[in-house]
Amino acid sequence: VVPFLFSFSGELYCSLPNPRNVRFESINMKNVLHWSAPEGTGDGVLYKVKYAVYGVGKWIRKPECRNINRTWCDLSSETSDYEEQYYASVKAFLNGTCSDWMETTRFNPLTDTKIDPPMVSVSSTDRSISIILTAPEKWKRSPEEESISLLQVYPGLQYNVSVLNKKTKKRWFFSISNNTLVVPWLEPGTAYCVSAQIHVTTPVLDSGFSKEHCITTLKDK
Amino acid sequence: LTAGDKIFHFGACRVFLSTTEIRAGFTAIKANIQSRDPIRTLSILSHPHSLHKVKSSDRCCITHQLFTFYVDKVFKHCRTEDPFVNRKISSIANSFLSVRRKLGQCREQNNCVCGEESTEKFKQILANYEGLNVTSAAMKSLGELDILLDWM
Repeated sequence: VVPFLFSFSGELYCSLPNPRNVRFESINMKNVLHWSAPEGTGDGVLYKVKYAVYGVGKWIRKPECRNINRTWCDLSSETSDYEEQYYASVKAFLNGTCSDWMETTRFNPLTDTKIDPPMVSVSSTDRSISIILTAPEKWKRSPEEESISLLQVYPGLQYNVSVLNKKTKKRWFFSISNNTLVVPWLEPGTAYCVSAQIHVTTPVLDSGFSKEHCITTLKDK
Repeated sequence: LTAGDKIFHFGACRVFLSTTEIRAGFTAIKANIQSRDPIRTLSILSHPHSLHKVKSSDRCCITHQLFTFYVDKVFKHCRTEDPFVNRKISSIANSFLSVRRKLGQCREQNNCVCGEESTEKFKQILANYEGLNVTSAAMKSLGELDILLDWM
């Protein structure tokens, strides 16, 4: 039997090294807490997780992340109100001893999330191509839940669009606020490749560029 | 108009402001400033009443009050031992001064009056602030700049 040591305040005396690099990783507001195992501990470490809404007076345990051996915990549901900010904390257990609670920095879903590139669909005539862009959706609890486009979350959302003439290697850049773009005066029977990125002005957030979508303009009639 | 200016609507007020510099300055020191604030369970701006519940008609008045709060009460108590952080704080403070001036003019021109709810809200903010020692309160308020900017 492993003796538990208790401090005066009745708390378990914790001598296990702490979980490291406790942080939120967020994409389209799917907010997942990640950490690294305590230094020098092999298998068998278990963890528990709690979180707090900044400014509200209590920490809340996450039952689905109690006594887990993985090093992540999905807190998307608990942090879905992006008008709030959050902290989360992790504690490790091994062979009857434990670590301290290790906290994240303050997490602001609105500014600390990463945004996926937009979806791009392209069609063409003989002398123009039409591009339709779709911003990703905010994470949602279930497919039945109403979808919220990130366009609604970030009213200042814009698109940066790159159009490459595969023959001449000439590239144009466009910055647009609405989600459609028609590029006129192109060469018939020529391949063009389109890629797009999301740019949010307030707060400043940029997605990566989408993969290229290539299309060939129709031959001259 | 200066670079990065954007039109903001605060009730009857329409003001061209650039918050880009404020936000960039804050982002640069956010981790440093927030790490100096150990109190998780209290917020100056967002609890118990959220700024997001302020009526549109009251936005003009309360935004001016909030900028005045930061200029008069917060920045002067935010000295740190780090020259880089101090430079960013004074740059943010200068930006706040010019924004407050614009908001003040707009408030006068449009005779913006604070409704009962937002008067109560601002009183709560001051009470939250006075509930801490001045340095902790100032540092916590500075660490909540993104709450103000996100709400604007």
